[in-house]
Amino acid sequence: MPRTASKKGPANSSSSSAVDLFRSASGKAATKELERIDQLYYSYANNLSGMIDPEGIESLCSDLKVDHTDVRILMLAWKMQAEKQGYFTLEEWRKGLKALRADTIIKLKKALPELEKEVRRPSNYVEFYSYAFRYCLTEEKQKSIDIESICELLELVLGLQFRPQVDLFVQYLRTQIDYKVINMDQWMGFYRFCQEISFPDFSNYDAELAWPLILDNFVEWVRSKQT
Amino acid sequence: MKKAKSQAVACSLDSKNGIKQHHFDDATTNSSVDPFSMIEDHAETDVVDSDSARASSSGGFTANLARKKAIPPQPAKKLVIKLLKAKPTLPTNFEENTWAVLKSAISAIFLKQPDFCDLEKLYQAVNDLCLHKMGGNLYQRIEKECESHISATLQSLVGQSEDLVVFLSLVETTWQDFCDQLLMIRGIALYLDRTYVKQTTNVRSLWDMGLQLFRKHLSIASEVEHKTVFGLLKMIESERSFPDVNLSFSVICATVLGEAVDRTLLNHLLKMFTALGIYSESFEKPFLDCTSEFYAAEGVKYMQQSDVSDYLKHVEVRLHEEHDRCVLYLDASTRKPLLATAERQLLERHIAAILEKARGIFSLMNLFLPVHSAIFFRQVLTFATTGSRALSSYIRRTGQSIVTDEEKDKDMVFSLLEFKASLDAIWEDSFSKNEAFCNTIKEAFEHLINIRQNRPAELIAKFLDEKLRAGNKGTSEEELEGTLDKVLVLFRFIQGKDVFEAFYKKDLAKRLLLGKSASIDAEKSMISKLKTECGSQFTNKLEGMYWPTYPLMDVRLPHELNVYQDIFKEFYLSKYSGRRLMWQNSLGHCVLKAEFPKGKKELAVSLFQTVVLMLFNDAQKLSFQDIKDATCIEDKELRRTLQSLACGKVRVLQKNPKGREVDDNDSFMFNDVFTAPLYRIKVNAIQLKETVEENTSTTERVFQDRQYQVDAAIVRIMKTRKVLSHTLLITELFQQLKFPIKPSDLKKRIESLIDREYLERDRNNPQIYNYLA
Repeated sequence: MPRTASKKGPANSSSSSAVDLFRSASGKAATKELERIDQLYYSYANNLSGMIDPEGIESLCSDLKVDHTDVRILMLAWKMQAEKQGYFTLEEWRKGLKALRADTIIKLKKALPELEKEVRRPSNYVEFYSYAFRYCLTEEKQKSIDIESICELLELVLGLQFRPQVDLFVQYLRTQIDYKVINMDQWMGFYRFCQEISFPDFSNYDAELAWPLILDNFVEWVRSKQT
Repeated sequence: MKKAKSQAVACSLDSKNGIKQHHFDDATTNSSVDPFSMIEDHAETDVVDSDSARASSSGGFTANLARKKAIPPQPAKKLVIKLLKAKPTLPTNFEENTWAVLKSAISAIFLKQPDFCDLEKLYQAVNDLCLHKMGGNLYQRIEKECESHISATLQSLVGQSEDLVVFLSLVETTWQDFCDQLLMIRGIALYLDRTYVKQTTNVRSLWDMGLQLFRKHLSIASEVEHKTVFGLLKMIESERSFPDVNLSFSVICATVLGEAVDRTLLNHLLKMFTALGIYSESFEKPFLDCTSEFYAAEGVKYMQQSDVSDYLKHVEVRLHEEHDRCVLYLDASTRKPLLATAERQLLERHIAAILEKARGIFSLMNLFLPVHSAIFFRQVLTFATTGSRALSSYIRRTGQSIVTDEEKDKDMVFSLLEFKASLDAIWEDSFSKNEAFCNTIKEAFEHLINIRQNRPAELIAKFLDEKLRAGNKGTSEEELEGTLDKVLVLFRFIQGKDVFEAFYKKDLAKRLLLGKSASIDAEKSMISKLKTECGSQFTNKLEGMYWPTYPLMDVRLPHELNVYQDIFKEFYLSKYSGRRLMWQNSLGHCVLKAEFPKGKKELAVSLFQTVVLMLFNDAQKLSFQDIKDATCIEDKELRRTLQSLACGKVRVLQKNPKGREVDDNDSFMFNDVFTAPLYRIKVNAIQLKETVEENTSTTERVFQDRQYQVDAAIVRIMKTRKVLSHTLLITELFQQLKFPIKPSDLKKRIESLIDREYLERDRNNPQIYNYLA
């Protein structure tokens, strides 16, 4: 099969060589698929930067008929292993959509429920959970996230599974004054907490163990509220 | 033939009866009177009853002899020994008859009636019955007989006599009689006791049997037993209620009962209880309960109405009394529990109150306790563990109230020293430096001084500062040394020593800098003492002396001073490169020459005062605001300075309007009517007291420092161990860190280090930390 240069999309060298790579590596159908994926990408991408930016994501979301604050978008980002919040690169896009076997919007939309199921599998969820935190670190060298964002993130990520714990913890976070930010360790600690500790009595919680201090304080706060 | 026959018979007789017989010659023994020949003679005619034979032996003997004499010598008779046809049997009703004899005797004994049978016979009767294997029956019969009498006697005591003493005497008599009677019966049946009883297991001796019967029926007639016990207790109580000082054996009068408390009676009855084996159950227990109640009430009453030394004397008397009681009539086994009970009620329960009453035990010494009371007091406190517990809690409580009273903070150290001194005095004098007492004091102090974190340490440092400053007139060197040593003792108890260190260093620096030390020797001595206590690490920095941090107080110096400052700075920096000079303006001082209309003066003033005064070289009157702008001295400080110049004793400036406080709208004037007796005048700057901010900053510095130490410790430990569980890490940290710290604070530091990527939580087990190189 003679190699034909791609007529669609901006003809810059990097993209064509990448396309070549793809083409040469897979069969015809696959090639077609990849082409469509790329096409889809460029339909949302910003012409100047070459990336899908927040605006692009917004329009993607409206096409998918999913709110841009919906957790499924986050899951999509996870699937893509997107690094920067609000942006998708071509690589990431390819990775994600290829894995989802979706090269059109319709197929992508259809793939979402399946994606959700996959993410919610216990073996994947902890990874997704930690990804969610990292995804929100927007600045270089940023290590923690402010309380309000954390509250929102918790709602988004754990709200379905651990509603009561999340509600209570969010309430605590908003009331307390000791902590202004939450770091990764505390973030992960909370997930473990939800999984292991009985609710609402916290009867198996032991502050002498290595639980992050914020959780010790949280439990104490809850207990003092209860009395 | 005959001979042979007779011989043969003799032999056969011999073997059949087993009776040892003399082999005699018929021919030769005709005329000899041989008891056996008599038997031979009678053999043909009577059945021999050995008993009756014996019984009638004497009579029969002489009768035969008479007969023998009457009959003329005859040719030798044939001696025929014939076998006894029948076994010798007992007479019919032998047992019944014998017993009847005995029974009547026993009865008579119990009923105290004369009996016609003599003892020998009775003894014999018993013997006979035993020999004929009727001992068992005899024993049982005796037992039954005794029982009926004993039971009757005891029952007869029921309902006897309302009067307790009379009743008790009755009981005593009954007991005495019983003992005598049993003894007699035992004497009669001695053979039974020695043979049957000994040979048969599970059979008691007669004496024990009798006692057991007595005990049994005494408990059946429970009213008697209880009444007896009650009576005894009442007697003892009345004796206690009117103790006499001279404890003699003689009978004393208890006016309430109007009768003598008869100790012999008590003695005998209690011996009865002991003999019956019911002493501890029936008597001792209620007795101890009674004692406990009695002394509980007495303890409370006397504590309220008497002072401490009288109370202790009284207690001593009581304890002696109880001791004597044991000698006189109580069983020796009661002594220990009795004294313990009395002590517990009279002393242990009130130790705390006793110690409290004597305000600061110190004054106990002033009560002139008689020596033996003091020793006794000590003995009691040493042995009674509750004593030392009460002592400990007393020390803690008193000490705690000293330590936690925030308003009395400035007196805290002094009060603590006083308190400790008083305890030590008691320890030496009353307790002969008893070790347990000493330990109690130490332990209690260690506890109470650490109740309030940090403040005592700070105050001790301050106290030392005061003592080491100049101006302590009247304190000799020895006194100072003594005080330092005592303070050091307190210092030893403190757990957070680094707080002390921080404050001490600061104050030391100040003292040295301002030349306020009373004596360099004293300073050195203190440092060496601290070195001994805490190791040289503690004092190295002190000895090296670092510069304390003071709040930077800026001031705009007048031109002249600036010049000098610069000169010095130049000089200094030329000598030592790489150092920074920070002018501590708040500590500078000056001597100003001032020309007042009324005379020239030299004023020794602080730097700030100087700066302010120098302004008046160019102006007669300045407002507060002016001065503030010109000098740039911080507001509060400026006010203080102006106060010292215009509102104190020495007024080189005049303030308008007059008053103690410096307000924003005040104005100041050079005081041209200023006068003073001396040429050189020191104008006391209202001393830069350690501000609250300084204080907290010092404390904070200590905490900050502690944080670093914790972090360093964690890293050190993790570096060595590489992998460590949370709980183990915490344990290690507690061991290594010298100051008290909460586990939650340690967690904070650990999390901080995780954040800074010195460690991480293990992926698989969140309880474990890994060291990140």
